[in-house]
Amino acid sequence: MTWGPMYMYYRCGTCGKQFKYAVDLIPRFGEKFGNCPVCQTPGVFVKDGARTPDDGDYEEVDE
Amino acid sequence: MAKTIITVAPNGAWPKKENNPNVPITPQEIVNDVYDCWQAGAAIAHLHMRDDRGFGTMSTDKFRETIGLLREQHPDCDIILNLTTSGDLDATDETRMAHLEEIRPEMGSYDCGSMNWLNTSLFINHPDFLETLGKNMQAWGIKPEIEAFDPGMIANAAYYLKKGVLKAPLHFQFCMGCANGIPGNMKSLLFMKDTMESLCPGSTWSCFGVGHSAMEMTYGAVALGGHIRVGMEDNVMYAKGQLAESNRQLVERAARVIREYGNTVATPAEAREILGLTK
Repeated sequence: MTWGPMYMYYRCGTCGKQFKYAVDLIPRFGEKFGNCPVCQTPGVFVKDGARTPDDGDYEEVDE
Repeated sequence: MAKTIITVAPNGAWPKKENNPNVPITPQEIVNDVYDCWQAGAAIAHLHMRDDRGFGTMSTDKFRETIGLLREQHPDCDIILNLTTSGDLDATDETRMAHLEEIRPEMGSYDCGSMNWLNTSLFINHPDFLETLGKNMQAWGIKPEIEAFDPGMIANAAYYLKKGVLKAPLHFQFCMGCANGIPGNMKSLLFMKDTMESLCPGSTWSCFGVGHSAMEMTYGAVALGGHIRVGMEDNVMYAKGQLAESNRQLVERAARVIREYGNTVATPAEAREILGLTK
Protein backbone atom coordinates (compact mmCIF):
# COMPACT_ATOMS: atom_id res chain seq x y z
CA MET A 1 0.00 0.00 0.00
CA THR A 2 1.38 3.38 -0.92
CA TRP A 3 -0.05 6.87 -1.08
CA GLY A 4 1.91 8.73 -3.74
CA PRO A 5 4.12 11.67 -2.89
CA MET A 6 3.63 13.67 0.28
CA TYR A 7 3.65 17.46 0.07
CA MET A 8 4.22 20.37 2.42
CA TYR A 9 1.97 23.31 1.57
CA TYR A 10 2.95 26.95 2.14
CA ARG A 11 1.73 30.50 1.69
CA CYS A 12 4.14 33.35 1.13
CA GLY A 13 3.88 35.97 3.89
CA THR A 14 5.13 38.62 1.51
CA CYS A 15 3.29 38.15 -1.80
CA GLY A 16 0.56 35.70 -0.73
CA LYS A 17 1.50 33.06 -3.27
CA GLN A 18 0.45 29.49 -2.40
CA PHE A 19 2.95 26.78 -3.23
CA LYS A 20 3.97 23.25 -2.29
CA TYR A 21 7.08 21.12 -2.12
CA ALA A 22 7.22 17.33 -2.37
CA VAL A 23 8.86 15.90 0.73
CA ASP A 24 11.00 13.56 -1.38
CA LEU A 25 12.74 16.64 -2.80
CA ILE A 26 14.14 17.80 0.53
CA PRO A 27 17.64 16.58 -0.49
CA ARG A 28 17.48 18.51 -3.76
CA PHE A 29 16.39 21.84 -2.26
CA GLY A 30 18.21 21.70 1.07
CA GLU A 31 17.87 25.00 2.94
CA LYS A 32 15.77 26.46 0.13
CA PHE A 33 13.01 23.92 0.73
CA GLY A 34 9.86 25.85 1.67
CA ASN A 35 10.97 29.13 0.10
CA CYS A 36 8.56 31.15 -2.03
CA PRO A 37 9.54 30.64 -5.68
CA VAL A 38 8.94 34.36 -6.34
CA CYS A 39 10.29 36.11 -3.24
CA GLN A 40 12.83 33.44 -2.25
CA THR A 41 11.84 33.93 1.39
CA PRO A 42 10.66 31.14 3.71
CA GLY A 43 6.95 30.46 3.30
CA VAL A 44 4.41 30.07 6.09
CA PHE A 45 3.61 26.41 6.60
CA VAL A 46 -0.10 25.68 5.98
CA LYS A 47 -0.46 21.88 6.05
CA ASP A 48 1.05 18.67 4.79
CA GLY A 49 -0.16 15.35 3.43
CA ALA A 50 -0.89 13.52 0.19
CA ARG A 51 -2.64 15.28 -2.68
CA THR A 52 -5.87 16.97 -1.57
CA PRO A 53 -8.83 18.33 -3.56
CA ASP A 54 -7.42 21.87 -3.37
CA ASP A 55 -4.02 20.65 -4.54
CA GLY A 56 -4.30 22.70 -7.73
CA ASP A 57 -4.45 25.92 -5.71
CA TYR A 58 -0.83 25.44 -4.76
CA GLU A 59 1.94 25.74 -7.34
CA GLU A 60 4.40 22.90 -7.19
CA VAL A 61 8.00 24.00 -6.84
CA ASP A 62 10.24 21.40 -8.39
CA GLU A 63 13.07 23.21 -10.19
CA MET B 1 17.25 -11.68 -23.87
CA ALA B 2 16.27 -10.78 -20.31
CA LYS B 3 12.60 -10.67 -19.47
CA THR B 4 11.20 -7.90 -17.30
CA ILE B 5 7.92 -8.21 -15.45
CA ILE B 6 5.51 -5.28 -15.33
CA THR B 7 3.21 -5.12 -12.32
CA VAL B 8 0.34 -2.68 -12.48
CA ALA B 9 -1.05 -1.21 -9.27
CA PRO B 10 -4.11 0.54 -10.68
CA ASN B 11 -5.65 2.27 -7.69
CA GLY B 12 -4.26 1.62 -4.21
CA ALA B 13 -6.25 2.77 -1.22
CA TRP B 14 -5.58 6.46 -1.45
CA PRO B 15 -6.08 8.38 -4.74
CA LYS B 16 -9.64 9.37 -5.61
CA LYS B 17 -11.42 10.78 -8.63
CA GLU B 18 -10.63 14.26 -7.29
CA ASN B 19 -6.94 13.46 -7.68
CA ASN B 20 -7.33 11.92 -11.10
CA PRO B 21 -10.74 11.12 -12.65
CA ASN B 22 -9.18 8.11 -14.37
CA VAL B 23 -8.42 6.18 -11.17
CA PRO B 24 -10.52 2.98 -11.23
CA ILE B 25 -12.67 2.75 -8.13
CA THR B 26 -15.63 0.41 -8.70
CA PRO B 27 -15.25 -3.33 -9.34
CA GLN B 28 -16.23 -2.86 -13.00
CA GLU B 29 -13.79 0.00 -13.48
CA ILE B 30 -11.02 -2.09 -11.93
CA VAL B 31 -11.84 -5.04 -14.18
CA ASN B 32 -11.82 -2.87 -17.32
CA ASP B 33 -8.54 -1.34 -16.25
CA VAL B 34 -6.82 -4.64 -15.45
CA TYR B 35 -7.84 -6.10 -18.79
CA ASP B 36 -6.54 -3.03 -20.62
CA CYS B 37 -3.23 -3.20 -18.77
CA TRP B 38 -2.88 -6.94 -19.42
CA GLN B 39 -3.30 -6.29 -23.12
CA ALA B 40 -0.59 -3.61 -22.89
CA GLY B 41 1.92 -5.94 -21.23
CA ALA B 42 1.23 -6.10 -17.50
CA ALA B 43 1.82 -9.60 -16.14
CA ILE B 44 0.76 -8.93 -12.55
CA ALA B 45 -2.11 -6.86 -11.15
CA HIS B 46 -1.72 -5.63 -7.58
CA LEU B 47 -5.28 -4.91 -6.51
CA HIS B 48 -6.92 -2.80 -3.84
CA MET B 49 -10.65 -2.42 -3.33
CA ARG B 50 -12.75 0.65 -2.51
CA ASP B 51 -15.99 0.91 -0.60
CA ASP B 52 -19.03 2.65 -2.09
CA ARG B 53 -17.70 6.03 -0.94
CA GLY B 54 -14.35 5.43 -2.61
CA PHE B 55 -12.32 4.69 0.51
CA GLY B 56 -9.93 1.76 0.78
CA THR B 57 -11.52 -1.41 2.12
CA MET B 58 -10.52 -4.98 2.81
CA SER B 59 -14.05 -6.21 2.13
CA THR B 60 -13.92 -9.79 0.92
CA ASP B 61 -17.20 -9.10 -0.89
CA LYS B 62 -15.55 -6.43 -3.03
CA PHE B 63 -12.60 -8.67 -3.84
CA ARG B 64 -14.96 -11.55 -4.69
CA GLU B 65 -17.13 -9.35 -6.91
CA THR B 66 -14.15 -7.89 -8.78
CA ILE B 67 -12.31 -11.17 -9.36
CA GLY B 68 -15.60 -12.80 -10.36
CA LEU B 69 -16.30 -10.11 -12.95
CA LEU B 70 -12.78 -10.37 -14.33
CA ARG B 71 -12.99 -14.12 -14.78
CA GLU B 72 -16.53 -13.98 -16.16
CA GLN B 73 -15.99 -11.16 -18.65
CA HIS B 74 -12.41 -11.94 -19.65
CA PRO B 75 -11.70 -15.66 -19.45
CA ASP B 76 -8.75 -15.12 -21.80
CA CYS B 77 -6.97 -12.87 -19.29
CA ASP B 78 -4.22 -14.86 -17.58
CA ILE B 79 -2.79 -11.97 -15.57
CA ILE B 80 -1.35 -12.92 -12.18
CA LEU B 81 -3.49 -11.58 -9.35
CA ASN B 82 -1.65 -10.03 -6.42
CA LEU B 83 -4.16 -8.92 -3.78
CA THR B 84 -3.26 -6.41 -1.13
CA THR B 85 -3.33 -7.24 2.56
CA SER B 86 -3.00 -3.54 3.48
CA GLY B 87 -5.90 -1.71 1.94
CA ASP B 88 -7.38 -0.04 5.00
CA LEU B 89 -5.50 1.24 8.05
CA ASP B 90 -8.49 0.39 10.26
CA ALA B 91 -8.80 -3.23 9.10
CA THR B 92 -8.27 -6.04 11.58
CA ASP B 93 -5.65 -8.75 11.22
CA GLU B 94 -8.46 -11.13 10.28
CA THR B 95 -10.01 -8.98 7.56
CA ARG B 96 -6.58 -8.32 6.09
CA MET B 97 -6.29 -11.98 5.13
CA ALA B 98 -9.85 -13.32 4.88
CA HIS B 99 -10.03 -12.59 1.15
CA LEU B 100 -6.80 -14.54 0.58
CA GLU B 101 -8.22 -17.61 2.25
CA GLU B 102 -11.35 -17.52 0.13
CA ILE B 103 -10.02 -16.40 -3.26
CA ARG B 104 -6.55 -17.98 -3.13
CA PRO B 105 -4.81 -15.62 -5.56
CA GLU B 106 -1.35 -16.51 -6.82
CA MET B 107 0.22 -13.61 -4.92
CA GLY B 108 -0.50 -11.28 -2.02
CA SER B 109 1.34 -8.33 -0.56
CA TYR B 110 3.36 -8.77 2.64
CA ASP B 111 4.45 -5.50 4.25
CA CYS B 112 7.45 -6.57 6.22
CA GLY B 113 7.46 -4.01 9.03
CA SER B 114 5.65 -1.05 10.53
CA MET B 115 6.10 2.63 9.83
CA ASN B 116 4.62 6.08 10.30
CA TRP B 117 1.91 6.94 7.81
CA LEU B 118 2.11 10.37 6.18
CA ASN B 119 3.36 11.79 9.49
CA THR B 120 -0.15 11.49 10.86
CA SER B 121 -0.85 7.85 11.66
CA LEU B 122 0.64 4.37 11.93
CA PHE B 123 0.95 1.60 9.37
CA ILE B 124 1.12 -1.35 11.72
CA ASN B 125 2.27 -4.81 10.76
CA HIS B 126 2.57 -6.48 14.14
CA PRO B 127 4.96 -9.45 14.45
CA ASP B 128 1.99 -11.68 15.34
CA PHE B 129 0.24 -10.61 12.14
CA LEU B 130 3.30 -11.17 9.97
CA GLU B 131 3.91 -14.64 11.42
CA THR B 132 0.30 -15.68 10.94
CA LEU B 133 0.09 -14.17 7.46
CA GLY B 134 3.33 -15.82 6.33
CA LYS B 135 2.27 -19.24 7.55
CA ASN B 136 -1.21 -18.88 6.08
CA MET B 137 0.13 -17.80 2.71
CA GLN B 138 2.31 -20.90 2.61
CA ALA B 139 -0.64 -23.10 3.55
CA TRP B 140 -2.88 -21.44 0.97
CA GLY B 141 -0.29 -21.60 -1.83
CA ILE B 142 0.01 -17.82 -2.16
CA LYS B 143 3.40 -16.26 -2.92
CA PRO B 144 4.13 -13.19 -0.79
CA GLU B 145 5.28 -10.06 -2.51
CA ILE B 146 7.53 -8.60 0.19
CA GLU B 147 6.94 -4.86 0.20
CA ALA B 148 10.04 -3.18 1.62
CA PHE B 149 9.89 0.54 2.33
CA ASP B 150 13.39 0.58 3.82
CA PRO B 151 16.35 -1.80 4.26
CA GLY B 152 15.19 -2.83 7.73
CA MET B 153 12.20 -4.53 6.20
CA ILE B 154 14.55 -6.66 4.08
CA ALA B 155 16.38 -7.67 7.25
CA ASN B 156 13.02 -8.55 8.78
CA ALA B 157 12.25 -10.76 5.78
CA ALA B 158 15.57 -12.56 6.30
CA TYR B 159 14.54 -13.23 9.89
CA TYR B 160 11.19 -14.68 8.85
CA LEU B 161 12.94 -16.74 6.20
CA LYS B 162 15.17 -18.33 8.84
CA LYS B 163 12.17 -18.87 11.07
CA GLY B 164 10.23 -20.65 8.34
CA VAL B 165 7.48 -18.03 8.21
CA LEU B 166 8.57 -17.19 4.68
CA LYS B 167 9.85 -19.61 2.09
CA ALA B 168 12.62 -19.01 -0.45
CA PRO B 169 12.92 -17.78 -3.10
CA LEU B 170 11.42 -14.49 -2.03
CA HIS B 171 10.11 -11.77 -4.29
CA PHE B 172 10.56 -8.18 -3.12
CA GLN B 173 8.83 -4.98 -4.10
CA PHE B 174 11.08 -2.04 -3.21
CA CYS B 175 8.79 0.90 -2.42
CA MET B 176 10.96 3.93 -3.09
CA GLY B 177 10.40 7.56 -2.24
CA CYS B 178 7.45 7.13 0.13
CA ALA B 179 7.22 9.51 3.07
CA ASN B 180 9.05 7.94 6.04
CA GLY B 181 10.63 5.34 3.76
CA ILE B 182 13.90 5.19 1.87
CA PRO B 183 14.36 8.01 -0.67
CA GLY B 184 13.79 7.22 -4.32
CA ASN B 185 17.17 7.57 -5.99
CA MET B 186 19.70 5.28 -7.62
CA LYS B 187 22.04 5.21 -4.64
CA SER B 188 19.20 4.02 -2.41
CA LEU B 189 18.00 1.49 -4.98
CA LEU B 190 21.48 0.01 -5.24
CA PHE B 191 21.64 -0.25 -1.46
CA MET B 192 18.27 -2.02 -1.33
CA LYS B 193 19.40 -4.48 -4.00
CA ASP B 194 22.75 -5.10 -2.28
CA THR B 195 21.03 -5.59 1.07
CA MET B 196 18.60 -8.07 -0.44
CA GLU B 197 21.35 -10.03 -2.18
CA SER B 198 23.35 -10.13 1.04
CA LEU B 199 20.51 -11.15 3.36
CA CYS B 200 18.18 -13.09 1.06
CA PRO B 201 20.30 -14.44 -1.82
CA GLY B 202 18.43 -15.89 -4.74
CA SER B 203 15.50 -13.49 -4.38
CA THR B 204 13.87 -11.62 -7.23
CA TRP B 205 12.91 -7.97 -7.00
CA SER B 206 10.83 -5.22 -8.50
CA CYS B 207 10.56 -1.55 -7.63
CA PHE B 208 8.69 1.67 -8.16
CA GLY B 209 9.17 5.28 -7.16
CA VAL B 210 6.41 7.60 -6.08
CA GLY B 211 6.24 11.12 -7.45
CA HIS B 212 9.42 12.57 -8.85
CA SER B 213 11.40 9.35 -8.58
CA ALA B 214 9.04 7.31 -10.76
CA MET B 215 11.05 7.36 -13.97
CA GLU B 216 14.43 7.11 -12.24
CA MET B 217 13.28 3.95 -10.52
CA THR B 218 11.79 2.56 -13.74
CA TYR B 219 15.05 3.00 -15.64
CA GLY B 220 17.02 1.82 -12.59
CA ALA B 221 15.04 -1.38 -12.29
CA VAL B 222 15.65 -2.30 -15.91
CA ALA B 223 19.35 -1.43 -15.78
CA LEU B 224 19.93 -3.35 -12.54
CA GLY B 225 18.07 -6.47 -13.58
CA GLY B 226 14.92 -5.95 -11.58
CA HIS B 227 11.26 -5.76 -12.51
CA ILE B 228 8.92 -2.77 -12.66
CA ARG B 229 5.73 -1.65 -10.99
CA VAL B 230 3.68 1.23 -12.35
CA GLY B 231 0.17 2.53 -11.76
CA MET B 232 -1.95 5.19 -10.17
CA GLU B 233 -1.58 3.70 -6.70
CA ASP B 234 1.87 5.27 -6.73
CA ASN B 235 1.55 8.08 -9.28
CA VAL B 236 -1.57 9.80 -10.55
CA MET B 237 0.60 11.98 -12.81
CA TYR B 238 2.12 10.89 -16.11
CA ALA B 239 4.54 13.82 -16.23
CA LYS B 240 4.84 17.24 -14.67
CA GLY B 241 1.46 18.93 -14.87
CA GLN B 242 -0.04 16.04 -16.81
CA LEU B 243 -2.48 13.64 -15.21
CA ALA B 244 -2.21 10.02 -16.32
CA GLU B 245 -4.90 9.26 -18.89
CA SER B 246 -5.07 5.66 -17.77
CA ASN B 247 -3.05 2.93 -16.14
CA ARG B 248 -2.59 1.49 -19.60
CA GLN B 249 -0.67 4.63 -20.53
CA LEU B 250 1.75 3.97 -17.66
CA VAL B 251 2.11 0.30 -18.60
CA GLU B 252 2.78 1.19 -22.21
CA ARG B 253 5.57 3.56 -21.20
CA ALA B 254 7.16 0.89 -19.00
CA ALA B 255 6.98 -1.56 -21.88
CA ARG B 256 8.69 0.95 -24.17
CA VAL B 257 11.50 1.45 -21.65
CA ILE B 258 12.00 -2.30 -21.37
CA ARG B 259 12.12 -2.80 -25.12
CA GLU B 260 14.35 0.20 -25.78
CA TYR B 261 16.81 -1.17 -23.24
CA GLY B 262 16.91 -4.47 -25.10
CA ASN B 263 14.86 -6.62 -22.76
CA THR B 264 11.50 -8.19 -23.49
CA VAL B 265 8.29 -7.69 -21.56
CA ALA B 266 7.52 -10.87 -19.63
CA THR B 267 4.18 -12.50 -20.33
CA PRO B 268 2.18 -13.79 -17.37
CA ALA B 269 3.40 -17.32 -18.20
CA GLU B 270 7.00 -16.13 -18.21
CA ALA B 271 6.45 -14.20 -15.00
CA ARG B 272 5.14 -17.37 -13.38
CA GLU B 273 8.33 -19.13 -14.37
CA ILE B 274 10.55 -16.30 -13.09
CA LEU B 275 8.69 -16.14 -9.76
CA GLY B 276 8.28 -19.87 -9.33
CA LEU B 277 4.50 -19.75 -9.25
CA THR B 278 3.06 -23.19 -9.56
CA LYS B 279 -0.70 -22.66 -9.85
